[in-house]
Amino acid sequence: MATTKVASTESRTSQGIRVPSPTSLLILPTLVVVGFFLILPYLNMLYISLMTANNQGAFERKLTFENYAHNLTDPFIWKVIGLTVQLGLLTVLISLLISYPAAYHLSRQPPRRRGLLMMLIITPLLIGVVIRTYGWMIILSDTGLINQALRALHLPAAGLMYNSTGVLIGLIHIYVPYMVLALLGPLQAIDPDLESAARSLGASRWNAFWRITWPLSLPGVLSGSILVFVLAISAYIIPQLLGGFVTITMPILVVQQVTDLLNWPEGSALTVIFFVVAVVILAAYARLMAFFMRGLS
Amino acid sequence: MLPERVDRALFLTPVVALYIFLIAPVVVVLLSAFNAGNYLTFPPQGLSLRWFEHFLESTSLMQSLVLSLQLALIVSVVSTALGTAAAIYVVRWSGRYREFLRILLVSPLALPGILSAIAILILLYAIGVGTRGMIGLVGGHIIVTLPFVFLIVSAVLVRFDRSLEEAARNLGAGPYMTFWRVTLPIIRSGIVAGAIFAFISSYDNVPMSLLLASVGMTPLPIQLFDYLRFAFDPTPAAAGTLSIVLAIVVVLISERLVGLDTVYVGGPRR
Amino acid sequence: MLALHGISKRFHDVTAVSDLTLQISEGEQIALLGPSGCGKTTTLRMIAGFERPTAGRIELATRDITGLPPERRECGMVFQNYALFPHLTVDENISFGLQMRHVPSSERRTRVRAILERIGLKGLDRRYPRQLSGGQQQRAALARALIMNPKVLLLDEPLANLDAKLREEMRFYIRSLQREFRTTSIYVTHDQAEALVLADRIVVMIGGVLQQVGEPHEIYERPTTIEVADFIGLSNLVPAEVAGVAQGLADYRTAVGTLSGLARDGLGVGSQAWLSIRPEHFRIVREGVAESLGSKPNHLHGTVTDTAFLGNLMDYRIEVGSGLRLRAQGSPGDAAAIGERVKLTFAPQDAWPLPKTPNGHD
Repeated sequence: MATTKVASTESRTSQGIRVPSPTSLLILPTLVVVGFFLILPYLNMLYISLMTANNQGAFERKLTFENYAHNLTDPFIWKVIGLTVQLGLLTVLISLLISYPAAYHLSRQPPRRRGLLMMLIITPLLIGVVIRTYGWMIILSDTGLINQALRALHLPAAGLMYNSTGVLIGLIHIYVPYMVLALLGPLQAIDPDLESAARSLGASRWNAFWRITWPLSLPGVLSGSILVFVLAISAYIIPQLLGGFVTITMPILVVQQVTDLLNWPEGSALTVIFFVVAVVILAAYARLMAFFMRGLS
Repeated sequence: MLPERVDRALFLTPVVALYIFLIAPVVVVLLSAFNAGNYLTFPPQGLSLRWFEHFLESTSLMQSLVLSLQLALIVSVVSTALGTAAAIYVVRWSGRYREFLRILLVSPLALPGILSAIAILILLYAIGVGTRGMIGLVGGHIIVTLPFVFLIVSAVLVRFDRSLEEAARNLGAGPYMTFWRVTLPIIRSGIVAGAIFAFISSYDNVPMSLLLASVGMTPLPIQLFDYLRFAFDPTPAAAGTLSIVLAIVVVLISERLVGLDTVYVGGPRR
Repeated sequence: MLALHGISKRFHDVTAVSDLTLQISEGEQIALLGPSGCGKTTTLRMIAGFERPTAGRIELATRDITGLPPERRECGMVFQNYALFPHLTVDENISFGLQMRHVPSSERRTRVRAILERIGLKGLDRRYPRQLSGGQQQRAALARALIMNPKVLLLDEPLANLDAKLREEMRFYIRSLQREFRTTSIYVTHDQAEALVLADRIVVMIGGVLQQVGEPHEIYERPTTIEVADFIGLSNLVPAEVAGVAQGLADYRTAVGTLSGLARDGLGVGSQAWLSIRPEHFRIVREGVAESLGSKPNHLHGTVTDTAFLGNLMDYRIEVGSGLRLRAQGSPGDAAAIGERVKLTFAPQDAWPLPKTPNGHD
């Protein structure tokens, strides 16, 4: 059905000159803001990453690849990248494992109960990283709840904070709601009759799930993993608070370069490298998933 | 084959465990806020409001709280205006640019916040502004909250029944009158939900606030972060209680307005 | 009152309406009838101003409205899903158009109250649309349009969303409203029974093209083309060749013998045609039953292959030879059984020819 043309996107003055019509005013301010605060900054960063660093924190307009070369050959950088990616992938994997049953369960609930349970999932999302991470600090620290319990039971203390384990727990906690929500959409869209049909044909509950529901939910798995991975590798607060000053991830490193050391060209280059690494991993993952999803339309 | 009941229990265990896992830190923070002692023990050491007093008496924390609320308000208003206008344009008018615009407007969600913040910071320094004033902070916040408003209002617009507008036109209302008297009141709930979501996103935001705030004007999450890096008393828990209450209110309101299905799962309300 | 001159509408590569010309007099009730996708709704939307014709002109009360926006056209429209404003009460919905015309509130109130009473929605003025039944919503939508005293009332499949019984009731209700208000009206419908009841004249559209315009009886008994005959009512179509023409009647040579039927201009001796006979026009004579006096001249013999009891009628399929299977209807009393030999008789006046298209296909 053709849409109602309430007004054309262009109007003509009495002399027949084209002027942008009122409706394009709707998008213009937004485009300006997005252009200045999103597109321009990234382009500028790319530009600066190719400039030469200058001791006073500014830069010389001299094209160079030194920033990239310097960073890419630094083993420390690769160690940090490795740790960041590792944490990211583990977060995705574990989040997926623990989120999927809950998302599946949620998709089968009647609307009212689903609404209530969704509130439980979404409220933590809206509380903010700092507060939730603080909660984990209380639980995981050496004088925290878990270790208090362990001590009461005369068990050895567990070092759950100020290391990667603590960071991992924190990351998983923060991003699980995103995973649940990403899975929920596609899971809800799957016709429950499909599993029933499989069972009527002799499939066990597990089989019906594994061979029917799981493949159909893969788009949700894909979007959820991508989302959580990007979020996990971008985390700043969690590695700082739960990782002590020991666990250094890419965001921490990049912020350090730019704000403390005021070395913009290197900081920019590092940021670009970080960005590229993320994109490469995501592309590989998407390709892999596309292979697994080839049966679906 | 396990009996049905055991099977179900087996399945529900990870589900229940997940909810407990999600809620545990929140509960812990709440308990700490009202706890008399310096740190939370089990059993708790007694009830007290001293941490709330501490919070309210702390100039730096209070200033940050006020700043965060003001900032969230400004950002919410601007983002909602821009996002709603953009949603209307993209859903109704954009023609062949639709997909491109949609991706562009939602992209901040996919880009790591910290990278975007760094990029903006560098640009601002390059043009000589740096972190002076609020322009960088506000701009950064708008960029990351706008996608939410855009998505929510778009979802509401897409399922809006166009024949209502046609009926209004048929009855003598011109295009602007129709928008004002028919379209706007009906999508209002989506706009409000978007505004609320923008508010709380700004209030909680870390990357932009971390890098773009000028000296002496620190938003609350960053102030708390600084606090926690070196001290460890439950004063932040008192601040956190406020956030928790805020979050619960937002969830309840958005459920009533548009249904959580629309906002968070991206589908129409059944 | 309303005139369409050569109206066409093209969407990219699809022609929805093709060169439509139509004149509608004041007070006439017109039905735009046709299968889904035939262009009738598009035509209605062009009259209302929601689509611009790719070609042609529309005149309302001698004024060219082709370029006018919808709100200046003085057409009232009732939408298929009613399009009642969900955020306004019934009262506010109905008075919306009056508000747009800046009618003072006292006058608005009077008029709204009057129409609520006339249309049977008294007492429901403060309710919201979602609190009304389907039939009530329908009437509210009608009231909202009628209160504006539109020059022409446009109804887009107004009864499509009602269940069968309600639909029938509403049909007669709308007819009585027509007689009372005397507003020129155009109904779009795919339901031929509805068109036959509601319209003074029926406009049959198929594939975006105007097929036939005429009174209900004419459309039903004398369809001009095979497409129209196929769409309206049930038809038996017997391939035939015109053998002779005399005094308004013609002889048709068919695979089951020569039949006598109506002659038609343009179908002279030697023309190929489809002879169309409505099932209800057959008289079924069971074997062994004596034929009454004044029986009809056309005789066909056949065997009953299928029967269906429709409550008030028996529906038969009868094989009459050469692979030709005809459909007939008779009263349930004294019904024939499957396998029985019967005789079918019908009058020449009930056999109407339809031209075969030049390439000899249907």
